[in-house]
Amino acid sequence: MIELHRVWKVFAVGPVKVPALSDVSFRVAKGEFVTLHGASGAGKTTLLRLLYREELPTEGEIEVLDYDVPALRVREVAELRRSIGVVFQDAKLLPGRTVYENVAFVLRVLGTPRREITPRVFDALRAVGLSSRAQAYPAQLSQGEAQRAALARAIARNPLLLLADEPTGSLDDTMAAEVVDIVKDIWAGGTTVLFATHQARLAAALRQRTLTLVGGRLVKDEG
Amino acid sequence: MLGFLFGEALRDLRRAGRVAVAAILLITLSLAALGGFWLVSANVGQAAAHWRDRVRIIVYLKREPSADDAHALVERVLAMPGVGAVRYVSKAEALGTLKQVLGKDASVAEQLPANPLPASLEVTLTAEGTTPEGARGLIARLSGLSEADEVGGGIDWIERLARGQRLLEVIGLGVGAVLAMAAILTVTTATTLVLHARRQELEIMRLVGAPELVVRLPLLLQGMLQGLVGAVMAIWVLIVLYTIAGPRLEPLVSQTLGLERLTFLRPQTVVALMFAGTMLGGFGGWLARGRTER
Repeated sequence: MIELHRVWKVFAVGPVKVPALSDVSFRVAKGEFVTLHGASGAGKTTLLRLLYREELPTEGEIEVLDYDVPALRVREVAELRRSIGVVFQDAKLLPGRTVYENVAFVLRVLGTPRREITPRVFDALRAVGLSSRAQAYPAQLSQGEAQRAALARAIARNPLLLLADEPTGSLDDTMAAEVVDIVKDIWAGGTTVLFATHQARLAAALRQRTLTLVGGRLVKDEG
Repeated sequence: MLGFLFGEALRDLRRAGRVAVAAILLITLSLAALGGFWLVSANVGQAAAHWRDRVRIIVYLKREPSADDAHALVERVLAMPGVGAVRYVSKAEALGTLKQVLGKDASVAEQLPANPLPASLEVTLTAEGTTPEGARGLIARLSGLSEADEVGGGIDWIERLARGQRLLEVIGLGVGAVLAMAAILTVTTATTLVLHARRQELEIMRLVGAPELVVRLPLLLQGMLQGLVGAVMAIWVLIVLYTIAGPRLEPLVSQTLGLERLTFLRPQTVVALMFAGTMLGGFGGWLARGRTER
């Protein structure tokens, strides 16, 4: 499903070269739930961005869903991303559209037949417990609800892989627990999950395989 | 999917707001200017063609020839290059024509002791003869006839009219091009504003793997829509101007250019203007795309 081999990512800040990831290698099997733990700046987001080809590695090999990610052409990048759901700390909902429209939007741009859109949107909203908020605008949602809407948007396409980049980072414990439960439900449905968090307590509570990043290096792979 | 893309393009237009309106107005202005010049030029061209068909060269003869000599002279002139037809006008016929022109004052001509009008040849030109060089060559050849006293007529003024028409076309294209460039830049600005407003949507679209066509097409479509709306408005402006000004200008045009009525742009020119507007807008949208890619 995911395989990284000796991956380096170095950013050039003027003449200075700053390594964001140093010699990272690991493998994630299909159907696994893996927690990616590390402090802010440890390289979690960079690592996730490499997986959906938002960044290119400076060195090393990356394979996701059988795609040789660094070698992909533009059209293939789009193909890869169609199989990956991504959620962020900020939900990135479109402010001018309702929750329903936010979820429907991604289905529309991917050419989903019109008759399939409404049932799939409501299936996704039901899965995250937001059916009753379908007509609400993002500004009318709590942070927890916004994050759940973002999850609904990510799972409406039935992705094979879910990349969650600090989805609970700005939530209180109750809301965070709700989001984690939903992500676990998604995983239980067969989706492979890579869940990034800086919260050690949350990483431990997830009780899943945990990869720990420190200063861009993978220092621990346990569980 | 196409409905969705058009919907997104319309949504983008609303987002661009005043800048989109400014772009549409500039396209309207540039195409109305271009169309206006074309309209004037087409009518001047029609007048030039009308007069070119009616151009005659008159060869005034020194003496009135006998019927046989006149027939032989007509045959000689007919054989010259650039000559389409030749009509012999006798002194008596010339006087008759003068009397007709004078109408109720025709008695003045009758009081003349002798017919002062010369016999002449009325020479009609072929298409080849109606070029300035062709006409000049023919006039030289006709002047060389031993029977010729004086040669009158020519097509220089018609050529000046035709040159004026070409000048109008060039000015029209120039003014239209300058305004079109302004329009393109405004459409580009409008599209760039839309891109800015849509950056989150574009980010989401790319993130979920939307085909590049779906990402780009609404931008191109909204530019093309601006162009099409501008072109339709330009044609509407031209129709209104033609309807209001046409009847008022026709008497003047009839007297000066000999045209009975002004004609509007041909249907294919109208279609060309609409196509040009759509392409202008599309080009503006495409330029904005380039900017973001850089």
